[in-house]
Amino acid sequence: MCASVKYSIRGPALIPRMKIKHRIYYITLFSVVLLGLIATGVFQFWPHSIESSNDWSVEKRSVRDVPVVRLPADSPIPERGDLSCRMHTCFDVYRCGFNPKNKIKVFIYSLKKYVDDSGVPVSNTISREYNELLTAISDSDYYTDDINRACLFVPSIDVLNQNTLRIKETAQALAQLSRWDRGTNHLLFNMLPGGPPDYNTALDVPRDSPRRYFLLSSQMALHPEYREELGALQAKHGESVLVLDKCTNLSEDVLSFRKRCHKHQVFDYPQVLQEATFCVVLRGARLGQAVLSDVLRAGCIPVVIADSYILPFSEVLDWKRASVVVPEEKMADVYNILQSIPQKQIEEMQRQARWFWEAYFQSIKAIALATLQIINDRIYPYAAISYEEWNDPPTVKWGSVSNPLFLPLIPPQSQGFTAIVLTYDRVESLFRVITEVSKVPSLSKLLVVWNNQNKSPPEESLWPKIRVPLKVVRTAENKLSNRFFPYDEIETEAVLAIDDDIIMLTSDELQFGYEVWREFPDRLVGYPGRLHLWDHEMSKWKYESEWTNEVSMVLTGAAFYHKYFNYLYTYKMPGDIKNWVDAHMNCEDIAMNFLVANVTGKAVIKVTPRKKFKCPECTAIDGLSLDQTHMVERSECINKFASVFGTMPLKVVEHRADPVLYKDDFPEKLKSFPNIGSL
Amino acid sequence: MQSWRRKSLWLALLASWLLGLLGIFPLLRLAVPTGPRAGAPRGWPRWLDAELLQSSFQPGEPPEDAPPPPPAPRGGSCDWGACFDTSKCRSGGFKVFVYPAAGPPSETQHKILASLEGSRYHTVSPTEACLHLLSLDAPAGACGPLPPEWNRGKNHLVLRLHPASCSGTFPRGQAMVAEASPAGDAFRPGFDVALPPLPEAHPVRGGAPGRLRQHSPHPGEALLALAEEGGGWRMAGADSSACPRSGHCERDGGPEPTHPGAALPNATFCLIPGRRPDALRFLQALQAGCIPVLLSPRWELPFAEVIDWTKAAIVADERLPLQAVAALQEMPPTRVLALRQQTQFLWDTYFSSVDKVIRTTLEIIQDRILGVSARPLLMWNSPPGALLALPTFSTSPSHFPFYHLQRGSRPAGRFSALIRVGATGQPPLKLIRAVAGSHHCAQILVLWSNDKPPPSSWPETAVPLTVMEGHRKASDRFLPFRAISTDAILSLDAHSSLSTSEVDFAFGVWQSFPERMVGFQTWSHFWDEAQGGWGYTAERVNDFSMVLTSAAFYHRYYHTLFTHSLPAALRSRAEAAPGCADVLMNFLVAAATKLPPIKVPCGRRPAEAGPPQAPGGLGPAPQPAARDCIDQLAAGFGHMPLVSSRLRLDPVLFKDPVSVLRKKYRSLEKP
Repeated sequence: MCASVKYSIRGPALIPRMKIKHRIYYITLFSVVLLGLIATGVFQFWPHSIESSNDWSVEKRSVRDVPVVRLPADSPIPERGDLSCRMHTCFDVYRCGFNPKNKIKVFIYSLKKYVDDSGVPVSNTISREYNELLTAISDSDYYTDDINRACLFVPSIDVLNQNTLRIKETAQALAQLSRWDRGTNHLLFNMLPGGPPDYNTALDVPRDSPRRYFLLSSQMALHPEYREELGALQAKHGESVLVLDKCTNLSEDVLSFRKRCHKHQVFDYPQVLQEATFCVVLRGARLGQAVLSDVLRAGCIPVVIADSYILPFSEVLDWKRASVVVPEEKMADVYNILQSIPQKQIEEMQRQARWFWEAYFQSIKAIALATLQIINDRIYPYAAISYEEWNDPPTVKWGSVSNPLFLPLIPPQSQGFTAIVLTYDRVESLFRVITEVSKVPSLSKLLVVWNNQNKSPPEESLWPKIRVPLKVVRTAENKLSNRFFPYDEIETEAVLAIDDDIIMLTSDELQFGYEVWREFPDRLVGYPGRLHLWDHEMSKWKYESEWTNEVSMVLTGAAFYHKYFNYLYTYKMPGDIKNWVDAHMNCEDIAMNFLVANVTGKAVIKVTPRKKFKCPECTAIDGLSLDQTHMVERSECINKFASVFGTMPLKVVEHRADPVLYKDDFPEKLKSFPNIGSL
Repeated sequence: MQSWRRKSLWLALLASWLLGLLGIFPLLRLAVPTGPRAGAPRGWPRWLDAELLQSSFQPGEPPEDAPPPPPAPRGGSCDWGACFDTSKCRSGGFKVFVYPAAGPPSETQHKILASLEGSRYHTVSPTEACLHLLSLDAPAGACGPLPPEWNRGKNHLVLRLHPASCSGTFPRGQAMVAEASPAGDAFRPGFDVALPPLPEAHPVRGGAPGRLRQHSPHPGEALLALAEEGGGWRMAGADSSACPRSGHCERDGGPEPTHPGAALPNATFCLIPGRRPDALRFLQALQAGCIPVLLSPRWELPFAEVIDWTKAAIVADERLPLQAVAALQEMPPTRVLALRQQTQFLWDTYFSSVDKVIRTTLEIIQDRILGVSARPLLMWNSPPGALLALPTFSTSPSHFPFYHLQRGSRPAGRFSALIRVGATGQPPLKLIRAVAGSHHCAQILVLWSNDKPPPSSWPETAVPLTVMEGHRKASDRFLPFRAISTDAILSLDAHSSLSTSEVDFAFGVWQSFPERMVGFQTWSHFWDEAQGGWGYTAERVNDFSMVLTSAAFYHRYYHTLFTHSLPAALRSRAEAAPGCADVLMNFLVAAATKLPPIKVPCGRRPAEAGPPQAPGGLGPAPQPAARDCIDQLAAGFGHMPLVSSRLRLDPVLFKDPVSVLRKKYRSLEKP
């Protein structure tokens, strides 16, 4: 396309010097060339977009054209399933191998039509649902078309519905699959014993109105014994219990599976499920019940009365949060059991049931992907999805915080801390800071991050002699984020970030700050405190450095924190904040405050009253500078970060930490940290 | 003329050549779009006639119409519904009867009895009991005769702490079996309980705390420790070549020498083979804070019914140890950090003593009995653990002080003041006014614990005031009164003296730390070398570990915990000495949080705040009664739970030389 632009510019410059016929000739020629180039350009880009859609790469064929395979009557029948199979005995993990993405590879056999000796088809070639399922697998990240790389095999022989199956012939068909090998690493889906899942869309809007029935039974073919017990429940508790049965008095043309009756009253099924708080799921022809899926979909809480029924995906789903399981013997008690559940818990269970449905059962695709994820978790346990990810509904996930340092422990004092001084060229002030910090008893190492690429750090002999190791790290680029890099040299958990001009902090103050950090190892513990405020006039956040009664941030010009936060800052900072900070050369401290508050959900701790950090004669408050632009920039940072985080994670508190006897009427010499308190 | 024409011709030629070059490739590609290209991914075909495919299911004929089933099969394998009768437990509460040992009791049986006898479950009457506990850890290793109340094992729990005891021939019948690392095939999930294999010398109470001293692995720490045949651990660095496929690691070629003496591994991950005898190593790894990597274990993980082991251990396939090791090296620090901490939490909460193991077993059974009102798994798997989170209090985690962060909830913004009027018998009018002046105060409860009848008239307050009759016992104030409607309690004594702004500030602090106690006056405990015991003092020192409940904020849940979880012996012990109930409450909260309480400043010194209620140890030398109290409580807990703090939380501008007008809590600074 670039070329065409060039020509069109040069064209007009040539034209005035030409004769008319030549001019026409050349204009035509150039337009042809131009058009050609445009067309080429379009072609260059067009085919790519076609290729990226799936239709391009998959076959378009008819199901009727699939190859026919004849199964001789005496072809081998596979052995019966080995009930003692476990993942580590029957599953061949060697096929899965090491995989940097920790994803299993799933192969789908191509579709064949199996007929027996007399040419009668073994089964329906493929059902709509099974086709959907295989399509879902094929579209997922798990799919591979290379049988040699696959670790899991999915036959295209449809065994979804066991009612329509010719067991022996299907088994023979399975046995002749190229990699069958007694079924090793093969996955069969036989999951839906009933219920056409496509009745209507009337249920799509969950209703929040109060539900009329407390307990509902909607199943039709129940054992008389159960029906008797349900009838007794209804007789005892009246209106709040509704037991439905098959309708006997319907005209022929009504879809009977969409209707349920109580005596002569007709109810629409499954809509009636929305009217109940709890819905009974009893043992039917098979243990697994389609009614469970209907019930979940209606936001009704399933009451499972089916001993030894293993609820779907119970390996990962915590069904206690979404259902009530009652032993069959306790069926008569079921009403009282349910009555004892507090309303709040009922609401939570309804939400949970609905969420299970939406996440794992609402479509064949959801079921297929959940199944593969479970198998994937077994094979790559180190990358498995956690309980919370499986079970917490999105609203809970969004509001909850899982503190990365959740174990309540106070690290031993002996470990000490590593001081990291970020410096550019203020050598004199740097040396003063080093000398001051080295007086702190718990200092175990001092790390100077030399951020100036144009100048070498002073010679070794010029540095102050201190009692702990001093190490200078030279950086490749002058970036603020260098101060938060997780250097290998940091061996302690506690890190003291300190600017090269913070010379006023006393050794007592620093030592006390470290003691405070030990009691709050998951927080930022720092000296200069700041506050964010909501500016109602401008409708945005404002940065505040005045003497306020509250704090929500501490500046990392002098702050203790856990070294894990360096890792988070460098590798897990949300959005473009890290680059943004490096580009603006400002607000790295605010970014750190946001990050820590966001992962821990906790406030900072400001230690000691100190307000002056750089020099005794400085104004009380000092930051990088006090002018108005600085404040505006800092406010902008807060607004920028709040929008990237999608929330305001900072917590405002009204307290700071002082030594127990600070300013108490008590002999100074008996206090642990006497040299604290001057501003 | 000619030259520019030729130039233009050349130009045109060049352009058409360019055109050809650019055009031919895409055109070539367009030429073969329909046929399947070699190497291109071919998914499951999109059938042209997909719309015509039949559904698996015949509409109109729901398969539920199949012949109805016979009732559930009974016998054979037991499950909870069939083989346990909960009716007795519901009426009489969860009571456990322990059969006396047939012969001379073994050491383990002693431990079990010792653990149970103090607990709230224990009963001496077999008829009253809902669960009968039979310990098979007989000294000779032989099975005793079946007990008289056996009843085919119904409602029985057969406890076998050590695998060696009573080898295998016991007819378990309908009894639940709680067994150390049971083999997978004999285990009845949801019915039997898998126990951890305990070493013979496992302590009854307390137990060794976890060895983890810091959250993240030390940089010099080995990546991997391998369980060796002899019982030791061998460290291996990042280099995994020492481990061949079998999971068995050769002695030679290890990057670091063997540490035969080291009982506990010092590494980030501990590789443990899956054979049953190696289950013991699993517990060692937990204690050491070394993340267990189990290679296809042939035994059930302990308490797996409630403990989510994926948060603390990794179950890998023994056939691919190298793959596991490679994955461990790649594991992100965030996950390593979480796994490490979880191992320690689980060890300290459920495994470090015989007492904890037995109580955990009973709590699991109690949760089964409770059914829908059982604890959510969150309570089992996050601090402080299920033994300290009573399901009788609430089933909603948000009601407890511990789970606000995980649930994204906050403690409510009101508190109830609970004022205990003891010996003085004078209604604390000034205090009531000060407390009622706080905007956060929801109600005032007066606990009248005096022989005189309470006065009939009380001051007019903006918030409701209720007077309750107490029993004149020191621990009265810790009863879970129904009248308390808020999460926060401000516990006060009649002689306490607080200002409204002190109350407001302290409540603000409590909202940041809802699981801790926030108090004004403090005591600190110390180890008395001379006496060889614990002591505590009210002297002003540079640290503290207890706050006085005569003026403290804490969560309502601690009243329930105090009344229902503490053994009766400890509670009656607390009655005996003055101030001991305070100490016991501090013990309890510290045991739950493992953190120190929080001190906030108070304007007036306690000496001026009226006569102290003779708490033990006021003054330089602690009184003997006080020392007895703390010593006995420490013995009862099995360890010293108190943690010291060296800081006090002050208002941000506290005693700063700025105008008092700027300060929100200026009255705190009055001398």
